[in-house]
Amino acid sequence: MNQDLSKTDETVSEQDDFLNLLTSQVGSTGKIEVARDNVSEPVIRSWCDAMSENNPLYTNPDIANNSKHNGIIAPPAMLQVWTMSGLHLGSQFQRNTEDSPSAGVYELLDKAGFTGVVATNATYRYDETIKPGDLISGSQKLLDVSEQKATAIGVGHFVTTETIYSDASGKQVGSMEFRVLKFQPGTGKQNQQPPKKPPRPKPASNSSTDWFWDACNNKELRIQSCDDCASLQHPPAVRCLSCGSISLNTVIATGKGTLHSWAIAHYPQVPAFDYPLIVGLVELEEGVRLVSNITDIEPEDLKIDMPLEVNWLDVDNEFTLHQFKPIQSVKQKSKSESDGEGENNSQISDLDQNDSDTQITKKQDPKLDLKNVQIGDELPISLVPITTLLIVSTALATRDYQDVHHDPKAAQSKGMPDIFMNILTSAGIVSRWINDWAGPEIDWNSIDLRLGAPNHPGDTMTLSGSVTEKNQNGNRVSLNIAFVGKNSRGMHVSGTAEILLPEITGD
Amino acid sequence: MNSNFSSKTAIVGIGATEFSKDSGRTPMELAVEACEAALVDAGVDASDVNGIVTFSSEQNFEIEVARNLRIPALSHFSMIPHGGGAACGTIGQAGSAIFSGSADYVLCYRAFNERSWHRFGSGVQDRHGGAEAFDVTFGWTSPFGLLTPASWVAMFATRYMHLSGATSEDFGRVAVTDRKFAATNPAAFFYERPITLEDHQESRWIVEPLHLLDCCQESDGGQAILVTSLERARDLRNPPAIISSAAQGSTDDQQAMRSYYRDDITRIPEMKFCADQLWKNTGLGPSDIQVANIYDHFTPLFLPQLEEFGFCEKGEAKEFLRDGNIEMGGSLPTNTNGGQLGEAYIHGMNGIAEAVRQIRGTSVNQVENVENALVTAGTSVPTSALILSQDY
Repeated sequence: MNQDLSKTDETVSEQDDFLNLLTSQVGSTGKIEVARDNVSEPVIRSWCDAMSENNPLYTNPDIANNSKHNGIIAPPAMLQVWTMSGLHLGSQFQRNTEDSPSAGVYELLDKAGFTGVVATNATYRYDETIKPGDLISGSQKLLDVSEQKATAIGVGHFVTTETIYSDASGKQVGSMEFRVLKFQPGTGKQNQQPPKKPPRPKPASNSSTDWFWDACNNKELRIQSCDDCASLQHPPAVRCLSCGSISLNTVIATGKGTLHSWAIAHYPQVPAFDYPLIVGLVELEEGVRLVSNITDIEPEDLKIDMPLEVNWLDVDNEFTLHQFKPIQSVKQKSKSESDGEGENNSQISDLDQNDSDTQITKKQDPKLDLKNVQIGDELPISLVPITTLLIVSTALATRDYQDVHHDPKAAQSKGMPDIFMNILTSAGIVSRWINDWAGPEIDWNSIDLRLGAPNHPGDTMTLSGSVTEKNQNGNRVSLNIAFVGKNSRGMHVSGTAEILLPEITGD
Repeated sequence: MNSNFSSKTAIVGIGATEFSKDSGRTPMELAVEACEAALVDAGVDASDVNGIVTFSSEQNFEIEVARNLRIPALSHFSMIPHGGGAACGTIGQAGSAIFSGSADYVLCYRAFNERSWHRFGSGVQDRHGGAEAFDVTFGWTSPFGLLTPASWVAMFATRYMHLSGATSEDFGRVAVTDRKFAATNPAAFFYERPITLEDHQESRWIVEPLHLLDCCQESDGGQAILVTSLERARDLRNPPAIISSAAQGSTDDQQAMRSYYRDDITRIPEMKFCADQLWKNTGLGPSDIQVANIYDHFTPLFLPQLEEFGFCEKGEAKEFLRDGNIEMGGSLPTNTNGGQLGEAYIHGMNGIAEAVRQIRGTSVNQVENVENALVTAGTSVPTSALILSQDY
């Protein structure tokens, strides 16, 4: 924005002037924006379809009519959707942006080169249940425009707004505090598009050894064996190293072994790997050794001869590599295998009390035993494949037509490597995941999200979380659930949701 | 084996360039300079040389070196595989060639810019898989990030520490001793720059359990050695360093740098095999050795070499080091040139040259009354070793 760097004082004062301009509207409230349409079942259904939300209260009139709501309700996570301006290609409907204090700030920032935009935080509070027929309006207040900050994504300003949502009677139904970073593309501390990690070196192989790597691709660990003397050997050879036989075959190893030795590589660092890198020499229980990475352990916990089991790494679509990880402790092991055993294990009774939620979830029982939810209980981990279809369909279902959510070139021109999921969807998917766990009977108080690494197509987001608080509020019990969604770039979303458990109507 | 050839040949010339991190010259210039220096040292004319033995990783072809030295004809020339493991093997094969009559004077050399040109320690990260058996061996380790010599050696070190009780400080004692000798050797890269055990412990990790100061240097430089028959040697300028015996060894599921599949990876059976040959061929034993150059590309593998040669029992090298045996005044002063951590990493050839100086009595860190000097070559690969002795 400022080419003349010769006079530092002048530059600083120009920056001050710009900041003054940006912050001049802080505290002001824009015109009340009334939604174009009433809340309606088709829009709810489209949203649920895109989010894979199955809560029957949102879409199934038969069930919803018999609930305490006496009919369909809108997902709380749709709060922001209703007043979104929608698409207006050449339509007469034009939102008067001068009335929105944040829009004015965005325009100033765009002109100054801060054309990139990412949402960084959102806190939604849900005060009243929204139902079809309601007409929602929103009133936005500009809370803050930060001074210029250097962030990982780029140099920019954080813009914070608060929007109060009301129904036609003027009653507040919810609120949203929203923070975005408007940044100059290409000014990130680290290139926003990290140099794509080169793949690991593929194993040099020939027709004497291809079988080993082919087996890995089938997640089988094979060892060369001798048909004549039954010896096993690794690395493979073209003769039996014990008896000289040419009749060589393979056997499938159990994948269990012990840690014979290890090395922890720090330097030099090759881009294909993460460091420090643990490389172990694994002695398989069949008696041969092989080199492999040791995963799921900190370097200081490595012990000579510790038990290990194979752990497959899909390097890419065509290449799977063996890794080894510690064999889980007895307690953890019985947890994951408890469905199969359980006749005479004294730990089972403990498990029934402590881990009932995970067991029930695993059995697809729709009713979580909410009464017995305890602080520390973990929600089932959910893997969300991030596809172009998901990003685009959820953007449309949230009435968000910003080009960065459907147009790769537009996203790139704004400093992003590809289109990315919008924050309304991140909130929606987290809500859906918690609904899946807790069931339709709960009510939502709030959700607070911090946004990090964007969800781009081709990635997978892994959601995990646990109950961090359990409070009695009158006749209701509230739960706080801390959650995190990670993708290959790091943390996409983290935050806290507060839900109310169903009223206990007497036993 | 080969006991007939024992003490029939000798090293008569040694020559080196300066040791640096940036020679400013091509490896061929370094090779030719080193060879010329060895010939001058011996007082032998290049026209009398008719054999060259070098070893793999050498980029200077013997025919180009011969052309530059104006050697008229070569009747024996060979290249021994496995890099630094072959260092003493070059002397052994030169001696064999002379003993068998296929050559009269044989030059052995190593010259490179392995710091200022391609860095030797960077390993095989750029080595893309081929179908040849040797390439395929990297397939068992490279996909897991085990790409450098330091990482290959670290795997042995962890298990050795576990079984023997040796500590990182014990490895550090090797580095400290090397650097102490280097500090008084003007030819050493680390001349007048000794280190303490604390320096060693505080140096950064390269590959745990190896600190930076457990790893030898990457050096630019060249070293050449001239071998001939003992009979001719006795007529030359310097007292001969008699090759009492030289041995090569490869054994027991040998792999290149990664012999991880044999029963006990804390031992070096190919070095034991070399030791057995040397003791048998010479009739000598550990107590007959007054000074040694023990290969020290990475300090952890220094320890089991002492054990394989019988200077101490298995697993007890740490006590041998803690008792100061490898220092000046100890029972086995070792790497008196500063070794490859202190002087330069010329793949073992500079260690042989130092043993020659100890036999001649001309080392800057001269040990008293040296009769026999032991030199070992690179470990974790097929290796070699030799004993040089005084002429009486």
